[in-house]
Amino acid sequence: MKGFKKVLSMLLVTAMIGTMAIGCGAKEDDKKEETKTEEKKDAGEEEALKGGGSNIIYVVTPSVSNPAFKAEADTATAKAKELGYEVKAVSHDDDPTKQTELFDSAIADKAAAIICDNAGADATVEAVKKAREAGIPTFLIDREINAEGVAISQIVANNYQGAKAIAEKFVEAMGEKGKYVELLGKESDTNAGVRSSAFHEVIDQYPDMEMVAQQTANWEKTEAYDKMEAMLQANPDIEGVICGNDTMLEGVCAALEAANKTLPVIGVDGSDEAAALIKSGKATGTALQQFAVIAEMAVVQADKYLKEGTTGEDEKQLVDCVAITKDNVDKLSGFVFTE
Amino acid sequence: MAANQKSNNNKVMMTILKGRTFIVLVILLIFFSITADNFLSAGALLTVAKHVALYGILAIGMTYVIITGGIDLSVGSVAGLAGMIAGGLIQEGLTLKMFGVTLYFSVPMIVLITVLLGALMGMINGLVITKFKVAPFIATLGTMYIWRGFANIRSNGATFSELAGYEGLGNTGFEVFGRNIAGTPIPCGVLILAIIAVVAGLILKKTPFGWHVLSIGGNEKASKLSGIKVDRVKIWVYAFSGFCSAVVGIIATSQLVSATPKTGESWEMNAIAASVLGGTSMAGGVGTIGGTIVGAFVIGVINDGMTMCGVTEFWQKIIRGLVIIVAVIIDQVQRNLQAKMALQARNENK
Repeated sequence: MKGFKKVLSMLLVTAMIGTMAIGCGAKEDDKKEETKTEEKKDAGEEEALKGGGSNIIYVVTPSVSNPAFKAEADTATAKAKELGYEVKAVSHDDDPTKQTELFDSAIADKAAAIICDNAGADATVEAVKKAREAGIPTFLIDREINAEGVAISQIVANNYQGAKAIAEKFVEAMGEKGKYVELLGKESDTNAGVRSSAFHEVIDQYPDMEMVAQQTANWEKTEAYDKMEAMLQANPDIEGVICGNDTMLEGVCAALEAANKTLPVIGVDGSDEAAALIKSGKATGTALQQFAVIAEMAVVQADKYLKEGTTGEDEKQLVDCVAITKDNVDKLSGFVFTE
Repeated sequence: MAANQKSNNNKVMMTILKGRTFIVLVILLIFFSITADNFLSAGALLTVAKHVALYGILAIGMTYVIITGGIDLSVGSVAGLAGMIAGGLIQEGLTLKMFGVTLYFSVPMIVLITVLLGALMGMINGLVITKFKVAPFIATLGTMYIWRGFANIRSNGATFSELAGYEGLGNTGFEVFGRNIAGTPIPCGVLILAIIAVVAGLILKKTPFGWHVLSIGGNEKASKLSGIKVDRVKIWVYAFSGFCSAVVGIIATSQLVSATPKTGESWEMNAIAASVLGGTSMAGGVGTIGGTIVGAFVIGVINDGMTMCGVTEFWQKIIRGLVIIVAVIIDQVQRNLQAKMALQARNENK
């Protein structure tokens, strides 16, 4: 047995060293490659990216089981088809590695452009760079990445403005006083932080508003339901709830209903489910992120860029949110707000 | 005469059944090259191979574990934690508070530390399973959560970005594992997959250790009675699975040039699927590395092929599920046929 153990450990070590040797061996040449790509990049900045050669636009979004991303994917698909492109709409399930694989497929498929709602501000940069090296322009929607000059456009909703606008309505509904709780989104997501700080920037101006609990529910409905029930147990005198998104708002409203309560509740997103709750008076309001508008803008810019070599816009573009309350909720449907 | 005819038919049938995964792979390749315009090109196929490398390597470790009659649900989490360890060592180094110094390692050292820690995590699985007699499913379900938790704690849920390293610290070059081998269009991950597959395949087939692994899965009690140190073999098998997972974590992190704690979520399912598609029996005792690699390629071709066909997300899931179930059904058919043939051969000998 000892002999076999030795053999096994020997082989493992060989495999490890082998792996490292490849790493070391490849290093030098890789640097050369890097300088080459850098040169290419420099040239790319002067010249517009031409696309991979086919007439296909890849629309990459998180799972379309979330209605917001479905609206995004559907609008982008419809607009691109209308402009005469073939569309492949795929989903990365918020897994950056899967997203890289989808980008690889798009490159292999000679895509003309990629529209992407990305899976991570840092983890996406490399994929977008690779597409750029293959001559494929990427148009980011809904979430930014931590690099500039890589994607052609980064069109995002103004979360900060939206959260502030709806927080005003919340304070109004609470009568500027009372105890409330907050449900946060996924802590690793920048939007969770931005929305929360925008909420507090408004609410904390009112000394009679007191936050008695703050919990993360990871953007999820079931988790929000459970956390809300727990918080109600601990603080039966809660008078209002602020949520980082509408999915959590749904969970909260369900928990409040189960406890026979109706309190001011706000969210962010502008989903149809939230709209229905606002209509029936179970929720106060939400900030509509105009997913459909953003997706459509990205496709139009992609088309213009492919034809003229420029979008005529800055890379970073903010699209304002619309505060939705009982007064204007009728104009909202499928993430589209019609004035 | 008639019996002969029948047994010949059975033999043909057996050959087809044994090569079924490979046949499926060929059919899939033909199907997607017709339906997706740009699928059948060297570039696209290398892309597929690059994606296969990730769960192919996981599946090799998984195959060993399943052959011993166990399961390792923690592989994805180990990959995630390994990525975070490697990323952290590059970005922040190792701070020794008692000496007040921060050590920065070169990339080969970081790789070595990471894979050794991966093997250690696997070893912990093995120890819990053998020494405390916890069912492998439960033990690795537990460590799946534990390692994922640590991966998040390492950075408080954030991402380690820009892992290109710093000249001054002498830790540049981490991104090579996710790129192509210099001067060739072959991704580094594919070469690593090939090396691990060959070594693991040889160990399983040609060494006493491999025979012990197979025999434990076949009949654990008999193996113990015949003097095989069952516990020790199992611990090594789980350590190997952990090692493979850590390698995958490094490749995945290197590809993204950033480490996120989410890396590897639900990858264990792909690894199990590849293993089962390749003919590994969940009951243990049966399985080959070659089969697993073909199984991994089937999954890879389905994934990338469907993407390039423009099949929507929900249908992709349904098709993936169907392929796995059908593969296992055929596996059962093969086993029944094998038993029937063995019976027939015995009767003829009489």
